[in-house]
Order: sequence, then C-alpha cells, then structure tokens
Amino acid sequence: MIGLSADTNANEIAGFGSDPWWIIAIKVVAIFVLLILLTLFNIVFERKVVARMQHRLGPNRTGPKGWLQSLADGTKLMFKEDIIPKAADKVVYVLAPIVALVPSFLILAVIPMGPEVSIFGTETRLQLTDLPVAVLFTLAIASVGVYGLMLAGWSSGSTYPLLGGLRSTAQVISYELVMGLSFVGVFLFAGTMSTSGIVAEQERLWYGIILLPSFLIYLISMVGETNRAPFDLPEAEGELVAGWGTEYSSFKYAMFFQAEYFNMVNVSAIATTLFLGGWRAPWPISAINDGMFNTGWWPLLWFLGKVVLLIFIFIWLRGTLPRLRYDQFMHFCWKVLLPISLVWIVAVAGMRLAFNEGLERNQILLYGGIVVAVLLIGSLLIPEKKTPAEPEPEEREFDAFAGGHPVPPMPGQEFVAARIPAATTQTDDRTEESSRA
Amino acid sequence: MNAYAPILGLILLAAVFAVGSVAFSVVAGPKRFNRARLDSYECGIEPTPQPVGGGRFPVKYYLTAMTFIIFDIEIIFLYPWAVRFDHLGVFGFVAMVTFIFLITVPFIYEWRRGGLDWD
Amino acid sequence: MNAPTIEYAELAPLITIFGAAVIGVLIEAFVPRKVRHPVQVAVALLALVAALVQVILLAGTGMVAAVGAVAVDGPALFLQGTILVLAIISVAFFAERRLEAGGDAFAPAASTLPGSEEERILVRERMLQTEVYPLALFAVGGMLLFPAANDLLMLFIALEVMSLPLYLLCGMARRRRLLSQEAALKYFLLGAFSSAIFLFGMAFVYGYAGTLRFGEISEALTANIGQDGILLAGVGLMAVGLLFKVGAVPFHSWTPDVYQGAPTPVTGFMAACTKLAAFGAMVRLFYVAFGGMRTDWQPMLWAVAIATMLVGAVVALTQTDIKRMLAYSSIAHAGFVLTAMVAADQTATAAILFYLATYGIATLGAFAVVTLVRDSGGEATHLAKWAGLGRRSPVLAATFALFLLAFAGIPLTSGFVGKLSVFTAAIDGGAAPLVVVGVIASAIAAFFYVRVIVLMFFSDPAPEGPTVAVPSLWTAVGITLGAAATLLLGIVPGPLLDLAQQASLFVR
Repeated sequence: MIGLSADTNANEIAGFGSDPWWIIAIKVVAIFVLLILLTLFNIVFERKVVARMQHRLGPNRTGPKGWLQSLADGTKLMFKEDIIPKAADKVVYVLAPIVALVPSFLILAVIPMGPEVSIFGTETRLQLTDLPVAVLFTLAIASVGVYGLMLAGWSSGSTYPLLGGLRSTAQVISYELVMGLSFVGVFLFAGTMSTSGIVAEQERLWYGIILLPSFLIYLISMVGETNRAPFDLPEAEGELVAGWGTEYSSFKYAMFFQAEYFNMVNVSAIATTLFLGGWRAPWPISAINDGMFNTGWWPLLWFLGKVVLLIFIFIWLRGTLPRLRYDQFMHFCWKVLLPISLVWIVAVAGMRLAFNEGLERNQILLYGGIVVAVLLIGSLLIPEKKTPAEPEPEEREFDAFAGGHPVPPMPGQEFVAARIPAATTQTDDRTEESSRA
Repeated sequence: MNAYAPILGLILLAAVFAVGSVAFSVVAGPKRFNRARLDSYECGIEPTPQPVGGGRFPVKYYLTAMTFIIFDIEIIFLYPWAVRFDHLGVFGFVAMVTFIFLITVPFIYEWRRGGLDWD
Repeated sequence: MNAPTIEYAELAPLITIFGAAVIGVLIEAFVPRKVRHPVQVAVALLALVAALVQVILLAGTGMVAAVGAVAVDGPALFLQGTILVLAIISVAFFAERRLEAGGDAFAPAASTLPGSEEERILVRERMLQTEVYPLALFAVGGMLLFPAANDLLMLFIALEVMSLPLYLLCGMARRRRLLSQEAALKYFLLGAFSSAIFLFGMAFVYGYAGTLRFGEISEALTANIGQDGILLAGVGLMAVGLLFKVGAVPFHSWTPDVYQGAPTPVTGFMAACTKLAAFGAMVRLFYVAFGGMRTDWQPMLWAVAIATMLVGAVVALTQTDIKRMLAYSSIAHAGFVLTAMVAADQTATAAILFYLATYGIATLGAFAVVTLVRDSGGEATHLAKWAGLGRRSPVLAATFALFLLAFAGIPLTSGFVGKLSVFTAAIDGGAAPLVVVGVIASAIAAFFYVRVIVLMFFSDPAPEGPTVAVPSLWTAVGITLGAAATLLLGIVPGPLLDLAQQASLFVR
C-alpha cells in the first residue's frame, strides 16, 4: 500500500505505446459504442428509477418494457427543424455543442477497464492508453468541455442564455476545483498519476475506504461538476427555461444533454478508478480461488457494475433531494468544501510523513486525535458573532391604496376597511342630508 | 508520442460523429420559415434589443473565474509534490504547507471582503 | 533526496518584507476599520526599518544564496539599502493626512465608480483606504529581489511581484480618478506586454545556454556552445523588457501618462525605487551574465542612451504640467545612467550606484513638494499656476529649486557629483561621444529646470493662485531629509562615493 512505486509505474505504462493499429482501432470503436450504449441505457434507467421513487411506472411502451425510449427520443430530435436565431453568432453557435461533446468522449480513453486479455490472439490490456499524467489529462479535458457551455450561452445572442451560461460555468469551475483537490490525497498514497498505476496500487485496500473524506468530497463535487440535481439550478426547467440551451433546437440540443450524460459516466468512471479500486472485484469475490475473478474478462463486469452503481446514486439524489439555490451551493463550495479539502490534504500529508519518518500508526492516531481535540475546544471557545438586533419596523398606519394601487397590510399593520372613494359617498351624503332634513 | 496516438483516433471519431450528426439533422429536418421563430425566446414577449456580443454582465462572475485560476494553479503545484511526496521528507512537507498557507491568506482576505458572496 | 540549504540569515531582509506584507493582508481582513490605518502604517514602517537594519548588518557579504538563485553582494545590498531608505520616506508620504481634508492621497475605495453615490458617501464618512500599505510592501519586496536575482526565473518573478502592486497603486488617486484609472490601465497593458517580451527573451537565452543561472550563462558564452542568433535575439528581447521598466526610449511612452495620473506620493515612490531596482537588475544581467558578449550589446546601448537623453531633454521643454515635466526629466536621467553602463567595468558600477542613490533622493523630494501646492481641485500641477510661488512661500520654492538644480547637475548639489562620476566612467570606458551628447542634453535640460525656478521667483503670482499647504510631520521630515541629503552629498560626497566603490563587485 505504501511504497516507492517508481518501478511499477514504468512497467505499467510501458505496454501502451506498442499496440498494433488494429487493436487500437477496435478499442476506439469499443469505447465509442460503450459510451453511446451506456447513455441510452442511463436515460431510460433514470426515468424508470425516478418514476419508481415517485410510485409510478416509467416509460414502458417503446421497445421491450420501454428500454428503447431514449433511442426513439434521440431519433425524433434528429428529425426536428434546425433553427438558428437571428441574433446568434452563427459560427460559434454551431461550434459550441461540438466543443461540449468531443471532450466528453476522451476521458474514457485513459480509464482502465480490465487487466491483460487476449483479443484475436494479441495480449493487450483493456484500456485505450495510459499516460504518466493520466488524471491530469482527465482534468484538462473536463476543463475544455466547460468552453462548450460558455460559448453556447454567449453565442445565442440573448440575455437569458448568456446569464445561464455564466452561472453554469461559474458553478462547474468551482466544483472542478474541489474535484482537483480531492485527487491530491490519492496521489499522496499512490505515488503516481497514471490510472493503471493507481488501480494497481489499490490491490489490497481501496482508497475510498482509507481516504473516506476525499471520496465524499469527490462524490459531492462530481454532482456539482455535471450540473446534476441537487445542483442543477442553471438548467432546471422551471427556473431559466433551459438556461444556456434556450435557443438550441434539434440535435444540437440533444448533443448538450448527451455531453451531460457522457460526463456523468466519465466522472463515475474516474471515481471508480481512483477510489473504488477500478476493475478489481470487491473483497469476498476477489479472494475466491486466489483471484480468479480478477483475470480475463471478469473485471469488465465489476467495472461496469461500479459505474452503474454510481450512476444510480446520481439518479437517487435527483429523485430525493430538493434543488439548492444558486448562492447556497456556491457558498457551500467555496466556504465549506474548499477549506475542508485544504485542511484534509495537509492532515493526510502530515500523517503520511509521520509514518514515513518511522512513527507507529498508534502514535500518529494519538497525536492526530490530540490536534483535533485542541481545534474542537478552540472552536467552541470562539465567541459567537452577535447578530445585531433588527430594528423594529416602523409602525405605519395601513393605507390600502399606497402607491396608487391596492396593497395588502405589511406585518405589524392592521387591516382597516378602506375608505370608499368620494364618487360613491356623494349619494349617501345626499340621502343622509335629505333624511336629516 | 505513441501513447497519445489512440487519443487522436478517438478525437477523430468523436469529431466525425458530432459534425456528422449536426449535418444530418440540418439535412433531414424540415425547413419551414417562420419569422417569429428566429427571434430570441423570452417567454413569449417581444425580445428586448441586445448589444452585440452580449453587453455587460455582473463582475462577480469575473471574480469567481479569477479565484478559480488562483486555486487551479495551486492544484497544479500540489500534484507533482503529492506524487513524489515520499522522497521529499520534512523539508518538502514544510515547504508545501508554507505555500498552502500563503494561498490561504488571500483566500481569507477575499472571504472577509465579500468576494465569495452572492454567487 | 537531500533538502536544499537555504541561508535564512542572508535572505532576512526579503523574508521580513514579504512576511510583513502578508501580515498586512491579514490586518486588512481582520482588524476593525477604525484602527486599521495606524496599525498598517506602523507595521509597514517597522518592517522597512527592520529590513534596513538587517541589510546594514549584512554589509560586506559576497555570496550566492538559496541554491544559486539570489545574490547577496555589494551592489545588491547597496541598492536594497537605498530602496529601503527611499521606501521608508515614501510610506511616510503615503500616510500624510493633513493635505486633503479628512483624507489621504488615495481614493477611499478604488472599486467605486468615479462620481457615483457610493464614492460620495465614503468621502463624507472620511473613509481611508489602507490596502496601499501591503501593496507597497509587496512592491518593495519585489524591488529588493530584482537587483539581487541571480537566476533568470527569479528575475522574472521579482519583476512581476514588483510591477503588479504598482499597477494597482497607480489607479487609486483620490482626485481626477478617471485620469488615474487610465494611467493604471496603460501601465498595466504596456507592462504586461513588456513582461511577455522579457519572458520570451529569457526562453531564448535559456535555449542557448541550457541553464538559468547568470554565472553559468556567462560560462556558456565563453564556451560558445550554441547558435549566436538565438542568443542575440534573447538578449535583445530581455533588454526591451528591462528598458521598458527603466523608461528608456523607445519604450518610454508610458512614463509621462503614468507619472501624471498616479497619486503623487506613488509617483515619487515609482520614480525613485523602480528605477533603482530596474537598473540594478539590468546592470547585473548585462555585466554578470552577458559580460562576455559586451561588444554585441554595447552599440545597442549607445543608440538607446543617445535617444533617451535627447528625447527626454527636448520633449520636456514643451511640457506645461509639472508632473509630466518631471517624468520626461526622469527619462533623461535614465539616459545618463545608460551612458555609464556602456563602460561595463567596476568604476561604472560604482558611478551608477552613486548616481541612482542621489537621483532617488532628489526625485522623491521633488514629487513630495508637488503634493504641497494645492488649489480647490486638488494639486495644482499646471506650470502657470506655479508662477510667483517664491514670493508667497520662499521655503518651499527654495527647496524645490534645490531639487531642480540637483537634477540639472549644478555644482554644490548631489546631482553634479553624480553626473561627474557617471560621465567620467563613460569616458574611461571609451564612450566619449556619449558624454558629449550627455553634456548637450544636460544643457537643454538645465534650460527648463531654470525656467521653472525663474517662474517661481521672478514672476507675479496668478490672481486665484494655489496655496501652499502646510504638511504634517510625515511629509515635512521626508522633504527636509531629502533636501539636506542633496546638499550634503553635493558638498561632501566622499563617504557615499567610497561606499559605492566598495560595493561595486558582483559575485559570479
């Protein structure tokens, strides 16, 4: 688990530059097909699961038990009219969905899905390629995908898409930051940034268990990064029409949502690789027959199972939690997640340093516990900031027609029957006078 | 360079798919001209005229982007340090904690001055 | 892997200043508004004085610290000491609050729109902006590192750390805010371009030499390993970046606008300290790193020096605003320093150090005097308004006349000794034509300096003329020290000349 893994890294990455071109072509097409199929599956899966959580059936007409619903939707969208608004910047308007979609294909290129297998007689690993900086590559590609959102909002030529695009972009980059910070713990333990190296290092214990805070922070930021509930205000239907996608129609609209679902798969795949042991089988199964289920094509099953589990968690969150307000989740990201991440990184580094320098694990836990206790007691001793007492609202007499139109009474005002306007009182006065007279 | 060649292949396939889909939908979709459909959508009312390029937008988005850049650069410095942490000893740990502290100071300043609010 | 050794004692001045700047930012975040100003001024002045004491204690060191990145030797320590002295006086000028009713020279909040309601409210509440003190400390830190950098990367970092706070400080004037913001934007854009060009040149030099350290670059030059084209391109581009900072022609276009728009205490700080730091870095780069190829860069410096002196002197003749006139005169002074730089030996270094010190003191004093001449709209910088000041306040006019005579190089002022040593070094280095041009330029410059003196003493004052404000101790002490030093160094320059001579050996 802890070790200087420079040698193993060289071995891990060495095999990848030397695959024959037809193997590479098969893998490229396989990743492409996998992504599309997973997306088609995910859309229907989401609708069915959310439906079941709401005590109803989901789509069950199109295809066997409704499983071809997303294919039908996508085909329908492709045949819709393609409208380009008058005020839009034509080139960027057409380019934006492409810029959003293409990077979301690329992340799966560096995700390991299995160990050595034999394809048509050639030994190769179930991974398109691996780089010494694979996770950094992933983060960079995710950042390029953000361009698509921003350009879409700006090029639509109208304020609502622009503001929606800005808000969406601000949210995505904030959560991307936290995501990046949660990786640092994994690098501290793995000693490498290459994905196959990280999976190899998780042979005995998954990082999701040792680095539980990093994993939880990553889970939260993963939901924020992909603009999914409960962080989906920028694209929620009731709020901003469709945010940055308001002016888009036909397949370009579908491409943005395809990109979002691809990103869901991508971040789940990254979580699986970095925190859940990648393609390794969970413990009871991996011990059977001295690791038989970790060889051959079996690991592909474990990998897909973990990815679908994480996507189920995405859908579960969508079905259960109410939407957070925009300033609430930006506050959460910058003022809660970011400080916690930084403190956790320093803590993990400190503990690992102590371990490397020879301190026993018990001693580390003892010292760590003392530090945490001191901090907790110190935070209890900080005096509460007294909120200034709100000034009493002025007592004003209730004027039903203040401002020239009818207004209801404010808190603290009593409802008094409005004075009837002069036009109708004249007759009363006359009748009163005549009755007095 | 060999390790990046498969990625180029995937980019090519993805780009062909994306451009092909857009082209197909332009060809396969109907084209019924309707002047109202070409206006910007503002929930049914007449759209207000916009300046070219979007006009002005609130400066707090710029602040968020700038703060993101600062912390992203910090993360870039954290990654190689974390990967080689075992070789660096106490000096490396103290140096990086100093660096993180020096980034945290302007973060605290921005927090207290309200740069992280309202958005 | 072994931990590198860091000589904390030799780097103490830098650590003090940067640490105090960080503490200043924390003070901004946490200290309540009422006590913020005194606390910031106290922290800034304490840190500067402490750093000055540490520099004086380090005198005589000649070593390269921090794994070859920072040089702690004579020229570095001399310039660091001078910059710290000038910075102490500058921060005292920043803290002056008697000249503006209830405020200082800085806008209460730089982020408010000029003319907006928020600005009016802040002025009415006599809000003071205190972020200038940490910004000034960061700028001073960069200025301390810039002449001491022994490594191309450290040179660039120091350039940026020095420049970025100055861009901000230029935009924070209380009066004529739009002009100030325009000056800041111009400085920022041109400075960013020149930093980019500087970095590009650095990349070429690194490509030629294969190393970033000055000493090793010098060895690579003698071994002549790479292609000359890349090296020449790199040296040229780096020279562009440094000449921009110094304000030499043809990269001087920012100087008049920025000097005019910035708040006058900041102008004084910039004019004095930035030039010192930039010349220190330039001399170290060209003497230590590129010393072996001096026959290649000397012709370039000849051309730049001649152009700078002449343009600075001639264009200043047409100026009607005193701050712009002083800006062009500082361009001319940069040209005089460049004449000594072409000589490329130790006497030249000593002459440059002495000239920079005396020029710095005189410039700071002159700009401080400019802050005192005020009318209802703030400072009265138009020359016509300065007519007859000698009649109304002879002390101020005499002090300003002293500074102007020092700029002109009249005997019995420090400027004369400075010019003498610089021109002597140039002649000894074989640049006699440069000295001829220098003398001509001095004569032209003397004309407009004397014109201002005549205007002050021998013209009638304007009817609704400006008044001369009486400053508090913060400014008064600074101006008095500056005037005294200018006079003293003109009469007995010996000690400072000897100090400069001792401090003129670069460590390699």
